[in-house]
Amino acid sequence: MGDIRQSLLPRDVLSAAKELLYHLDIYICNLVQSGRQPPQVDSKTQELVEEFILHAPKDRNTPARRMSALQELQLLEIMCSCFQEQSRDTVRQLMFSALFSLQGNQADESRMVLLGKLVSMAIAVGRVPILECAASWLQRTHRVYCVRLAQVLVDDYCSLVPGSGPTLQNIHSASPRFCCQFITAVTTLYDLTTEELTPPLELLQMIVSWIQDDPRLVLINFLNTPLSGNHPISSLDVTPLGGLMRWCVKAPLAYKGDKKQALTNSSTERGREVGPLFSALHLSVLQVLMLLPNILNEKGLYGRLALLQMESLASLTSDLSRLLDQADKHAPSTDTRALPQLALDRLAQALQVSMANGALLCSREDLRAICSRLPHNNLLQLVLSGPVMYYNNIHSPAMAFSPHAAHSPIASHPTHPPLPTHPPLPTHPSSHPQYPAQPFMTGMSFPFRPSH
Amino acid sequence: MSAQKDCEFLVKRARDLVSDDPCAAKAWLITARTLYPADFNIQYEMYIIERNAERTASAGRLLYDMFINFPDQPIVWREISVITAALRSDSQDKHALFLRGLFETLPGRVQCEMLLKATEQCFNTLEKAEMLLLLLKRFPESVVQHGVSLGETLLEAEASENVETPVNCFRKLFVCDVLPLIMNNMDMRLPASLMQKYMLKAAEFYIGYVTRGPAADVQIQGSQDGGSLKSPTVSRGSQRYVIDGLSEKSSVVAEPWERLLDIVAVVGARCEWQGDKGQRSYVDMLLRVKELCRYLPSLEGDTRSRCCSQVVICAALVLFRSAFIYLSSVQPALFQGVNALSSGPWILVEDFSSVYSDLESERGAGKHKKRKLADGREKTMSSDDEEGLGKGRGRHILVNKTEMPSWSETLESFRTARESWDLLHSHDGLETEFKKICASWKTDSWLWFRIFLTDTIIYQGQYRKALSSLHQMAAVQQPQPGQQSPSGQGSLEHHRALIQQASCHYALGEYRLACEKLLDVVCGLTPPTQEPTKSPEDWSRGKTKTRKGNDLRLLPCTGKAVLPFCFQLMFACFKLRTFTDSRDDLSLGHVVVLLQHDWPQGEMLFLKAVDKICQQGSFQYENFFNYVTNIDMLEEFAYLRTPEGGRIQLELLPNQGMLIKHHTVTRGITKGVKEDFRLAMERQVSRCGENLFSVLHRFCINEKIMIIQSLP
Repeated sequence: MGDIRQSLLPRDVLSAAKELLYHLDIYICNLVQSGRQPPQVDSKTQELVEEFILHAPKDRNTPARRMSALQELQLLEIMCSCFQEQSRDTVRQLMFSALFSLQGNQADESRMVLLGKLVSMAIAVGRVPILECAASWLQRTHRVYCVRLAQVLVDDYCSLVPGSGPTLQNIHSASPRFCCQFITAVTTLYDLTTEELTPPLELLQMIVSWIQDDPRLVLINFLNTPLSGNHPISSLDVTPLGGLMRWCVKAPLAYKGDKKQALTNSSTERGREVGPLFSALHLSVLQVLMLLPNILNEKGLYGRLALLQMESLASLTSDLSRLLDQADKHAPSTDTRALPQLALDRLAQALQVSMANGALLCSREDLRAICSRLPHNNLLQLVLSGPVMYYNNIHSPAMAFSPHAAHSPIASHPTHPPLPTHPPLPTHPSSHPQYPAQPFMTGMSFPFRPSH
Repeated sequence: MSAQKDCEFLVKRARDLVSDDPCAAKAWLITARTLYPADFNIQYEMYIIERNAERTASAGRLLYDMFINFPDQPIVWREISVITAALRSDSQDKHALFLRGLFETLPGRVQCEMLLKATEQCFNTLEKAEMLLLLLKRFPESVVQHGVSLGETLLEAEASENVETPVNCFRKLFVCDVLPLIMNNMDMRLPASLMQKYMLKAAEFYIGYVTRGPAADVQIQGSQDGGSLKSPTVSRGSQRYVIDGLSEKSSVVAEPWERLLDIVAVVGARCEWQGDKGQRSYVDMLLRVKELCRYLPSLEGDTRSRCCSQVVICAALVLFRSAFIYLSSVQPALFQGVNALSSGPWILVEDFSSVYSDLESERGAGKHKKRKLADGREKTMSSDDEEGLGKGRGRHILVNKTEMPSWSETLESFRTARESWDLLHSHDGLETEFKKICASWKTDSWLWFRIFLTDTIIYQGQYRKALSSLHQMAAVQQPQPGQQSPSGQGSLEHHRALIQQASCHYALGEYRLACEKLLDVVCGLTPPTQEPTKSPEDWSRGKTKTRKGNDLRLLPCTGKAVLPFCFQLMFACFKLRTFTDSRDDLSLGHVVVLLQHDWPQGEMLFLKAVDKICQQGSFQYENFFNYVTNIDMLEEFAYLRTPEGGRIQLELLPNQGMLIKHHTVTRGITKGVKEDFRLAMERQVSRCGENLFSVLHRFCINEKIMIIQSLP
């Protein structure tokens, strides 16, 4: 492959790039056919890609060849049709890797720029194969770069060209995998810490409608990926659940923050507008969590795989306590009490439902640890202390859920044993303290019981 | 304690939020449910939110969960009974549709279980049956287990509730809903006797339904009743009908005769009836059993009795259906759902359309006269029957085709019904079986069927029997005219009976009775203001065909048609007396008056009367100038007095006879009489334009007693 360099040099930038793509295609086809495992593009080829497609300077002496905007557009079109026409999935994936896998060198900058333009174009013209490849790329690549790609797309579709939102809306049906990864990336990008890091309204609406239409979208990557346990730490979460949860919990306080920064009508209106959106999104997140036990059981992962990490929840609670402190300082009036309580309600709900459905593997004591700095909230206290064990509802018969549910044709609601038995956790081996004894101390007021 | 408080707290928070932020409310409940999965109130609250928002799928899922997890909760049962009530109702409102949709989202097994349990909790027989029916309709496999017992329960309920009519809610459910399920389920094996019993139950219901009378529903005003009938009770085709205990919609039975035929076909196939399996029409059915009847004498034992019941059931159904079709043309007001506006009642009577023209018609009537003489010595029914049977063959029934567009179907049905009736009485075995059916259905009390039978007897010429039947019916109907309607229907009904009686009396030679009845009718009528234009049909028929005089006619029961008929019949009564050798000026006078009707149809007979007067040389009829306004006749009588006319002595002025006797010596007075006659004639000529109907009507009313007395 290296020997074609001489033939590429005399050509103009566009035809050289074209020629290289053509050869790359043949080269990868042969590579796949030869059956060598793993099929890997050699470094010579990588260099050619960097020189003739990414136009990264080879060394300081030779000036980088540059393409005009028009030539670049033509190249993107060629790449689009190249991926579109390639019928073999493996070849397409290898090709995409050869072009856009980060190499940790100077060329990565141009790689990211070209990738952003290509994916943006693929969204615009509905090139599903490219979106599928990009979804895989988002799974493999360090989250910092994923977030950068997401930023480019949000800029293109939500900020730069008004009214182009509907185009982005379509990715949900074009490539659910890409859509799911995009949500994960976007929730990682916008952590609601500053004004800049709150998602544009249009984007928020889009995400809410996607998930409302199809809650399983959130889990699509998780459902499609064989989880081998070697999920790279630095990459994006498998699901956007954690990110979405963070959004919903922080939103009441983050958007309230707008008010004090700019007391304009637009910002308060924005707050009023996003309220129902986050409420709906929060409900969707809980509903998705309710789907988990069946899926985890099917995969044999119930109690073994935590979709939500304790660390990220810990950072959420510390963020939240910081935000609450701020809120308290800036607006101590009573009418703003409701918003901190809403945030805490949502946190409590998210923690309880996650735990009950096997998305979060920890004990209530662990939760109490990460929530220790938070102010009082009735529901949070109830969740942290857990349900009263001896449940004597006079109406309810002896609970025998599992036999019924086993035959249940509507397999939506998980079966809950009356005692939430937590599977032993590798990180927290002993986590059942004094609770089982608690109901017997009837006369005693329990510190965590909500005061209602 | 504490758990209960927790749950109450969680539910309360959700409830507080639901109107402003339903998503938040649901989030609370989802959380609550993971904390206390065994708490009923949490799940019920979740269900209520979805139900109130009418979200079918999610509400269905939650209801299912509650049904499985809290099967003993009264609230769940209340909810289920609301849903099953919606399933049974035919309401189309949004909520009912939602509840039905909700039920549909449940898995079949759960639906089945729910319905069964809901049925167990039902105490009302009808509701219980409807519930079980829902189950049977949805789950055909349950028919085998529950079908027959449900049917028997309904029949028992009908018996124990002492319902008055076979058209009741229990029977309706049994016949229209349960029976088809049982009959069409191939896994069911029922004994033939049971199937026949069920089929007869079905037949009784359908016939009862079709022939139900118009309900005297005060709420529904017959505001649009057209025609001459002003009675609010006269049925309009669209009048609503509700079977007690059922909704209006489920009280409707579509195409009852077809449904009945379906059942007959299934029963026939299952009982292995003779002949073609697919009996597709009632006419086919009659043809088949007619054929079968021929082999009946050669059969024995079981085969024979099976054959017998096939013949009787089929013939009986054809009989009742054809009789109904005939009656719905002839007496549409008897039935609800038959359009009564198209025409009023029709009367089957002797035909007199050619009475003025046919000189030879006395021959037929002459027989009666002779027989009438024999009647003097205690005549019995038997000879009446004999003669009736002789006359019954191939009688024509005339009907004005433009006034009865369905004439051909009507007459055909009448014929088919008579045929079936004859078939059913052609054999002792058949008759016994048929009488059993009649007894169990109490057909004696079916007014419409009696009317049919009476018409049949009339057709057969058994007038004495017909008269007694008519008297009986009149007795049954007596209280009705008053209560049914003040003016129209009742009196029309009454007229109908009188006219038919008159026609029978005439046929029996009982002219005085015939005229008595007729004059009762005429007195109750007001003459039409316009003289009817003679229909060309009547003309041509009278001219071209020589009738034997024993034809029948379907006469519309309207003043316009009845009055001419009365004149014709009265004329027929006098005709025979008049044209005999003995002198009877009074009758001859009546005949002359009546001959004016339908002039010049009776010209020949008038000339014959004139001949008779000439032969007598004199004629006395003091009513002449009161009722004779026909110019031709006046001219003729004027001529008779002239020398050329033969100087006939005419005493046509009231009290003229007295005058002549008194002043016979004085020539001058005779001259004065002549002058009176001339003046009377002149005055009479000026009356020529008078409405003849009014004149003849007045004649009937004023001279009623004299007319009757002049007949034997």
